[in-house]
Amino acid sequence: MKVLVPLKRVPDPYSRIRLAPDGAAIDTTAIKFEINPFDEIAVEEAVRMKERDASVEIVVVSIGSAECEEQLRKALAIGADRAIRVDCAETLDSLGVAKVLVRVVERESPNLVLMGKQAIDDDNNQAGQMLAALLDWPQATFASKIEFNDGRATVTRETDTGQETLEFPLPAVITTDLRLNEPRYVALPGIIKARTKPLESLTLADLGAQQECRVAVVSMRQPPPRTAGRRVNSVDELIEALRVEKGLLKS
Amino acid sequence: MLRAPLGVQTPEDFDADVRLMADAALQFARGEVMPVLDRLDAQEEGLMMSLLKKACDLGFGAVDSPAEFGGLGQPKAVATRVLEMLSPNGSFATTMGVHSGVGQTPIALFGTDEQKRRYIPPLARGDYMGAYALSEPNSGSDALSVSCRATLTPDGANWKLNGTKMWISNAKWAGSFIVFAKVEGERFTAFIVEREHPGVSVSAEEHKMGLKGSSTARLVLDGAEIPRDNTLYEVGEGHRVALNTLNLGRCKLAAMALGQAREAIHQTAKYARERRQFGRSISEFGLIRDKLARMASNVFAAESMLYRTVGCIDDAFAAVDPSKGNVAEQNRRAAEEFAVECSLVKVFATEALGHCVDEAIQVHGGFGFTEEFPVARLYRDARVMRIYEGTNEINRLFAFNRLATKGGLNAALDAEPTTAAGALFRHAAMAATKLDTRTQQVDAGLSDLLALTYAQQSVISRADRMEASRHPRSEFARACADYFSFLAGVAAYSRAAEVCARVGGEPPVTPELHGVGSDDRIAAAVLEGSQYPL
Ligand SMILES: Cc1cc2nc3c(=O)[nH]c(=O)nc-3n(C[C@H](O)[C@H](O)[C@H](O)COP(=O)(O)OP(=O)(O)OC[C@H]3O[C@@H](n4cnc5c(N)ncnc54)[C@H](O)[C@@H]3O)c2cc1C
Repeated sequence: MKVLVPLKRVPDPYSRIRLAPDGAAIDTTAIKFEINPFDEIAVEEAVRMKERDASVEIVVVSIGSAECEEQLRKALAIGADRAIRVDCAETLDSLGVAKVLVRVVERESPNLVLMGKQAIDDDNNQAGQMLAALLDWPQATFASKIEFNDGRATVTRETDTGQETLEFPLPAVITTDLRLNEPRYVALPGIIKARTKPLESLTLADLGAQQECRVAVVSMRQPPPRTAGRRVNSVDELIEALRVEKGLLKS
Repeated sequence: MLRAPLGVQTPEDFDADVRLMADAALQFARGEVMPVLDRLDAQEEGLMMSLLKKACDLGFGAVDSPAEFGGLGQPKAVATRVLEMLSPNGSFATTMGVHSGVGQTPIALFGTDEQKRRYIPPLARGDYMGAYALSEPNSGSDALSVSCRATLTPDGANWKLNGTKMWISNAKWAGSFIVFAKVEGERFTAFIVEREHPGVSVSAEEHKMGLKGSSTARLVLDGAEIPRDNTLYEVGEGHRVALNTLNLGRCKLAAMALGQAREAIHQTAKYARERRQFGRSISEFGLIRDKLARMASNVFAAESMLYRTVGCIDDAFAAVDPSKGNVAEQNRRAAEEFAVECSLVKVFATEALGHCVDEAIQVHGGFGFTEEFPVARLYRDARVMRIYEGTNEINRLFAFNRLATKGGLNAALDAEPTTAAGALFRHAAMAATKLDTRTQQVDAGLSDLLALTYAQQSVISRADRMEASRHPRSEFARACADYFSFLAGVAAYSRAAEVCARVGGEPPVTPELHGVGSDDRIAAAVLEGSQYPL
């Protein structure tokens, strides 16, 4: 079985985000970047599959400039077999990403695309669904448990109303949720071994893909700083304040 | 002025792989070690051993041990960075540091292939811990005066060891010990002793002020019988094993100090941001900001010195070539070459840590003096670092005396100083040598001046390189270099004045002091992320 794991380079979720002077991007000086945490869960899941069945091949792919090779190398260190970087200087929107991934899928013919449910930078939660639709493959999003049997997948997914179990044939797209697994620590021998694993760099033209982006970031704003609260002495005073000062309650 | 050239290695030179290794180490420390500190300090049965095993499974236990014997064969700079990141807690740092360092390097450097094959793979895997047993109740700083004796059995097949080793880190969990004893009471020699050898036992734990999670106990050798083949290196040459292992060990110790200092800065910045007095966050007060700036500048300096030194040591080891004769002999020379720098770094980094944990308590006010916050533990654990691997007194005296006896001093005095500290060192050292009134007090003063010079050179060179390569943190680095230069200028002036007064020489000229204004920028950078930003 061949598993394709797309992954995105995102700012470390614990870093303090500041805006760039032009206000249309974040200031990337001195922030650390990581594999998108949901994607790392997908890598972990794929590696666990490989540990159960040595015939599993894991290909990781990222779309971006040379920096994202750092994240691909990390995925190789965790246990992926090879990596592809699709060179692209611009940030694509979800549909743009899904369309490029379609080309990668055509080239690699994986049995499964396993990816994060969303990237923690723009939180779109769309690329996986769009990819499945474009490929016309079954999909299961927000997976918290995945099992395979006879070319079929059984996925437990977490929804707002409870757990749902889906069963469908492969090939398919599955997106991962937080509770699927807990990614391992990267082992140093893995990092050393990854040095000799193949990391291929392709252009969009190599794939016959295009750079497509319909969404433009017009501006970004920091959330307003929280101001200090105020103590009120009674419920009446509170209601009065909400009504008069905030215009919240209509009498 | 010192042997170690500039520009060989800074942390910024590490490639993405090494950064990933360092990150993995930090994740491990945060995820596995930091949540269980109370249990570690209580020495919960099996806990430290299982953490060490996990760490070894991830490859942290033998980063710079030879790859052909189960280590990872990485440069010492890489091993040093990994250990630094594993070290936010002193007890775990000591356990790992001894296991991967002084418990293992003597075999890696001086062992026969057979000894390496027998001991390094299980140590690398973490099957058991390694330990290093030099000190005795009556032989501490005067380490070569050990009374532990070794005699050959009548058939010549085994050694019989008699004596007691004291203060042995990891003793409770160790499976192998590097033991130093005198053959026939005279010839100082290193041995590899297994815990299972007959006549070997470990006594009860010491009740320590801090570092409670680390095992410290006596190793009792009561007619302990070990195979003759367990002689490490040559009979009568144990001092070379002991001292050169300690040279490298001092760099590892500096890394362990830095790991704890980073944690102290993190806790302090976090608390300073949260605590409010006089209607403001205390992080807005000049004195608090200055504390953070000093902590970070000193850590920046210690880090710059450490990686400069370790980079040079790596170059020396890279030149070792089996086709050019005895490898152990070449290893010895490589480990010896930067002995002065190793001692300076050990003293500087452990005192930087001492300063950091002290100010960490101060910024926490009364809360710092309670067990409610993690800084009290940091404070207790840090204290021993100025005592073991050679007390800071011994290292101060050694550094200056070695420089003086190996002819390095003349070269040092001839070179045109490039830093304020360097000029003050030269002035004071000239006064002291001319007047020939050297005492320990004078030598220690000169040693401090030497360390400040080494540090100041290292920070300026590192900041220059970061600027040249447009490193995103180059502004922070420059601010640290400037502020450190200011602090080093003041400290060096005071040390030089003291030395000159002691030897009756001309007092030094006040250095030009710049860099005063950079403290606020350093504090801002530290507070922004609640951590030492590099
Ligand atoms: C927690 C802990 C862990 C340790 N782990 C190990 C270990 O794993 N293996 C091991 O072998 N040892 C270990 N040690 C021992 C440690 O290395 C010694 O404690 C240290 O070398 C100092 O020796 P001492 O305690 O006998 O002090 P002493 O040598 O008695 O020194 C007492 C004081 O006198 C000063 N002094 C001594 N000689 C001179 C001199 N010539 N000039 C000026 N001042 C001098 C010292 O600096 C010190 O301030 C450990 C110690 C501790 C506390």
